[in-house]
Amino acid sequence: MQRVYERFASRGLEVVYVGPLETVESCQEWKEEHGLGSPVVPDPEGTLFRALTSGWVPWSILVDSGGAVLFSENEFDEAGFTRAIAGVLDRGQRATEGERASAEPPPGVRRPASAQHVVILGAGVGGIVAARALRRRLDQRHRITIIDRAADHVFAPSLLWLMVGDRREDQIRRPLERLGRKGIEVVRDEVLEIDVEARVVRTSRGRVDFDYLVVALGARTAPDSVAGFSEMALDLYSLEGSLRIREALDRFEGGRVGVLVTGMPFKCPAAPYEAALLVEARLRKRGLRDRSEIDVYTPEHLPMPVAPAALGRSVAGLLEGRGIGYHPLFTFEAMRPEPREIVAADGRAERLDLLIAIPPHRAPEALASSGLLGPSGWIHVDGETLSTGRAGIFAIGDVTTIKLPSGKSLPKAGVFAHAEAEVVARRIADEILGRAPSAVFDGRGYCWIETGNGKAGFAGGSFYADPEPTLRIARPGRLWHWGKVAFEKWWLRRWF
Amino acid sequence: MKVLDDSGKGVAVGSRIDIGELDLPLSGGAAALIVFWKRL
Repeated sequence: MQRVYERFASRGLEVVYVGPLETVESCQEWKEEHGLGSPVVPDPEGTLFRALTSGWVPWSILVDSGGAVLFSENEFDEAGFTRAIAGVLDRGQRATEGERASAEPPPGVRRPASAQHVVILGAGVGGIVAARALRRRLDQRHRITIIDRAADHVFAPSLLWLMVGDRREDQIRRPLERLGRKGIEVVRDEVLEIDVEARVVRTSRGRVDFDYLVVALGARTAPDSVAGFSEMALDLYSLEGSLRIREALDRFEGGRVGVLVTGMPFKCPAAPYEAALLVEARLRKRGLRDRSEIDVYTPEHLPMPVAPAALGRSVAGLLEGRGIGYHPLFTFEAMRPEPREIVAADGRAERLDLLIAIPPHRAPEALASSGLLGPSGWIHVDGETLSTGRAGIFAIGDVTTIKLPSGKSLPKAGVFAHAEAEVVARRIADEILGRAPSAVFDGRGYCWIETGNGKAGFAGGSFYADPEPTLRIARPGRLWHWGKVAFEKWWLRRWF
Repeated sequence: MKVLDDSGKGVAVGSRIDIGELDLPLSGGAAALIVFWKRL
């Protein structure tokens, strides 16, 4: 098997060994024992093994680049196998040469002359999906690099569960270095500047040249821009802040809890409402509900105002039903740590014993001199192609703004970053492979709304619908909660 | 070695599979050889 690989590797054959019911450790041992140069990965529950084999090992499957199965056998006949592999590689080479000779790039598509370098800035949801989707579509001549200052990806939707003790930190974070095993170059570094003319990203340790760039840096939260934040508020949108909220809720003995939105826009539009509902459930469980008040303060006129008003009214109804105060049009102005007050622009002041806050959001500083930011302070992209208007430079996720037919902006949420990443990966791969890009983002998205006590609601549909998004709204239930749990497990397993 | 008893006949030659959905460390080369193994 190893001989076959060594003979054909330079012509584009890849080999991967899969160990059904094995572990990462046993795979590593087996790889070292046999001196294998190819990846050896576990299939701990035998899912792939059940789907693709008859239950016997060893089992070998040969597929071409289009996924056609050319060989699927329990036996390994080296001579026969060698002929089959040589056949498919010869066909592939002839086709590629033919394509090169005849195909002219469609209008607006650059014809790359050689191996390309795709650089992705940011390893959040969008960055990771873009990197994996690109790697799946491009052979190893083309480099894919992802740059992030963090060592780990933290699955942000689970911070709400972490906050109330339903998750441990290690359950929701994954080391980014694992992407290295998927053929992606992972660079842990701070992005300082993007020079779109020179096609260079400058980082704290050097420079990275790119042919294609995907800006997926997300929205930066800026608690330091609010005087008094560190003294009196706990940051709902950071791992550290969520851990501190958990500790504070464990120590809490009753009093006034406030969930504050300091400004618009903010990512994950349901989060402040979910936080209030989860805190309510937590305090009820601790027997403190009768001694506590919980209030939400937000500049919005209705929860999640991009969606049809029915959804906002439904969420407001949930809050009311649980005795949670809802204070819309609360335009935050200041925090006063000494009397522990938050103050609105209209003079309203609220004294709070525990303040959970969403800090102001800003575009990352690295973009300041890039020329990519629009008048809104975010990157304005084409709603279908996610192009920034500069050749080969795309932006996805929270760092972007997309105007909807209603005149409002597409919410900042991971579900959109994920879908946009798939579109951008397809478009870049098509350009590199000389095909006309056809993938477009359709504005579809969905969201679970955790309500505590093991229940969640759900809303999803088309945000590009004219004149306003058309969403299906489902009442809270246990099924939706377990749907969100299953999604979390799938996501962390799928991409790492 | 028989590892599992509840399987079918294995993926058939001539059929097509979505390589991306397998979530394996493959990068889109001209051909991929997937080998299932188990310690004896």
